[in-house]
Amino acid sequence: MLARAAADFYWAGRYLERAERTARLLDYQLTRLVDTPADELAHGWRVLYAALGRGTPDVPADADEAETFLIADAYTLAGRLVEDGTNPDSILSCWSMARENARQLRPWLPLGVWTCLNRGFLWIRDVDFAAAWGESPSALVLEAIDRLRLLAGVVDGLMPRDDAWRFLELGRFVERLQSQTKLLETWTRVGRADDAPVRLPWSDLLRISEAYALYRRRRAALKRREAPLAFLVRNPELPRSLRFAVHRIETLLGGIDPRGARYPLAAPHRMAIRLGATVEIDPADERAAGTAGDPGSGAFATLYRDGRTLHNLIMATYVRYPVEEGLPT
Amino acid sequence: MQSQANSDRSPNGFAVAPGSSGPFADYALRPRFHDEIFREDGTARASCRRLVDTLARESPEDLAALQEGVARRFVHEGITFTVLGATKMSEHIIPIDCVPRILTAGEWDHIDRGLRQRLAALNLFLHDIYHEGRSLRDGVVPADLVLGGPQYRVEMRGCKVPHDVYVSVCGTDIVRTHDGFVVLEDNLRVPSGVSYMLACRSAIKKAFPALYRRQGVREISQYPERLYRTLASLATRESEPRVAVLTPGHYNSAYYEHAFLAGEMGAELVEGRDLVVHDAMVYARTALGLKRIDVIYRRVDDDFLDPVTFRADSLLGVAGLFHAYRAGNVVIANAPGTGVADDKAVYSYVPRMIRYFLGEEPILANVKTWRCREKEGLAHTLANLEKLVVKEVGGSGGYGMLVGPHSTAAEREAYAARLRADPENFIAQPTLDLSRSGCFVEGRLEPRHVDVRPFVLRGRDETWIAPGGLCRVALRRGSLVVNSSQGGGCKDLWILRAPGD
Repeated sequence: MLARAAADFYWAGRYLERAERTARLLDYQLTRLVDTPADELAHGWRVLYAALGRGTPDVPADADEAETFLIADAYTLAGRLVEDGTNPDSILSCWSMARENARQLRPWLPLGVWTCLNRGFLWIRDVDFAAAWGESPSALVLEAIDRLRLLAGVVDGLMPRDDAWRFLELGRFVERLQSQTKLLETWTRVGRADDAPVRLPWSDLLRISEAYALYRRRRAALKRREAPLAFLVRNPELPRSLRFAVHRIETLLGGIDPRGARYPLAAPHRMAIRLGATVEIDPADERAAGTAGDPGSGAFATLYRDGRTLHNLIMATYVRYPVEEGLPT
Repeated sequence: MQSQANSDRSPNGFAVAPGSSGPFADYALRPRFHDEIFREDGTARASCRRLVDTLARESPEDLAALQEGVARRFVHEGITFTVLGATKMSEHIIPIDCVPRILTAGEWDHIDRGLRQRLAALNLFLHDIYHEGRSLRDGVVPADLVLGGPQYRVEMRGCKVPHDVYVSVCGTDIVRTHDGFVVLEDNLRVPSGVSYMLACRSAIKKAFPALYRRQGVREISQYPERLYRTLASLATRESEPRVAVLTPGHYNSAYYEHAFLAGEMGAELVEGRDLVVHDAMVYARTALGLKRIDVIYRRVDDDFLDPVTFRADSLLGVAGLFHAYRAGNVVIANAPGTGVADDKAVYSYVPRMIRYFLGEEPILANVKTWRCREKEGLAHTLANLEKLVVKEVGGSGGYGMLVGPHSTAAEREAYAARLRADPENFIAQPTLDLSRSGCFVEGRLEPRHVDVRPFVLRGRDETWIAPGGLCRVALRRGSLVVNSSQGGGCKDLWILRAPGD
């Protein structure tokens, strides 16, 4: 597989995962708009924006002002995350970039995958956002989620398990590892901070992570309480657990570069194994979020930084390597 | 609808005469133009009777829905061409007309033989001008026209081209007049449109499945496989040659086609930045190291192929590619420098090339061409501008031409000034009475002018012509310009099997 195509697949995977993550978080917040007090709602926006790695929105501190602001501008806050073409992480931007990558990958993509991706893009490109925010914002976000999941299913059903698929999935799971780590860290450190107007419940975090039902079943079966945070970090069955993501990354790297999985290990393999050990060994409780005064000190912050390093190593090893290193022996 | 169709039947029991009620109510025949569907007396040609019968059974609403369905499918599947505007890039689909054009086996056989002959002569001509130059010395083609032409590549002088195949892929534009089929131009550099030919076929086959089956249409779907075999046959390394399609990138208007062909062939789709030259060999950068490339089907013009040899400011090419080519370590198809033979002035000498190199009379005629570089040609052109079509010798896409009968006095005056200033750059041809074929336009069936671009593949040992072609249609009423950039569209072309075939 061409190095450029590998990078395009990898990035397409990241963009699609990012779009779905944003849509899920937004769905949670939009659902709360109906019956949540303004200060709690404002707190929710702050957590959501922080989890997406964006600056905190400028919500007034005064409760009355905040209420007015939120009623008037909730959809501005949502719009930045959905339709804002200047925000590279908005759902529209992610879809657009994934589609632009896919356009360059047509020879490797089954027609059904391209068509599904393209139709999704054409849909969101042509949405009348002003009308959608006025009528049913939740329906808009849910439609985006449905279309992204449909695409994931089509990819799963149609793509051969070759390097194209592996790089797409690798991008998806590296993105998932980083975004889920960020979400856990933000939820714990900001969402449940002592001075927050409300401590966001663990159950909501489980629902956002699509882990609630599994958590309840496992808890009932084990007849003991397992910390939700540890469950979201270490459960091997849960597609959004950190452990699941790291394990997928290790497997995908092994498929892409079997030689790199043997000793001496290639740099991305080495980092993936280290990430696996971190997930297994480091504390998976509120200490992992670090202290309020030093947010970069906990295990989640280390994981997030290592995830970024892993990304850089993947690019350096499979995409941007020096020509001399790539010559046939 | 069935009863209405029956009421429109002509006495022969097949044709729905144009000018009657029903879907052909607005179909006006004009004796000046050969009609591809109807004879002059209004009855359907034998090869088109089933088509006419089928169309007569469809309501305008059905046809409109069908046409919309095809267009929607093209949008969803991204069968588009890209237009780079001043501020942003936009994607468009080529308008597809749902009514196929039909040619008989006999008509196609004539075209097929003519194209084989033409390509054989052009390949011999190209070899000659880059080696001995016999044809130039013998005055078959003026030496100054060839050697002074912008597309003549001195770098190709004496270069050994694998198997002497300069042109592996050719798209020749052919029109029909009352005098028969004539060649309008040869596209020898990077002819495009084959993906639309295949997409059109795929869509129209689904639209008229019963008609398609009963008509006995020759298949064209093997084109990508044939293209791959043609390219692989040229490789200098025998074992498992690796073929790549070199594209300028996804901003190029024909990018869909590049991606489509690479995908269908199972070849790599590469940009210049994906290739490196090391020790006069070409490698693709893969995720797991460099892999050697044997054949490059380039969709990049000569100028941009290699910044070391050609344009130094090219970002699309590969530094050192031409060096590897001359060393015989990679095949570039079509070979650099082939453009000199599809210059519109050189085109006018192709019949002479055929006689000179093959000792045969041309099977397909050329359009009468006046070369403005010659005194008489310029005088005739200036005196008859209102009747002629004047083109730039290196022009394409319908740009920069003057269609005399459709021009204003002011336009002709401005064009005459350009002609006088640079006569070498122009040729003139009579305004052709292009044949017309039925199209579904604005809710009704009407005749429109058409041409066809068949695609010819020439490998090491054989020449193959896809039994079909990109049938381009001037969708604007009265227009003779079929280029998509000038309001043209395309339709499927059905070549019928010979009886007993």
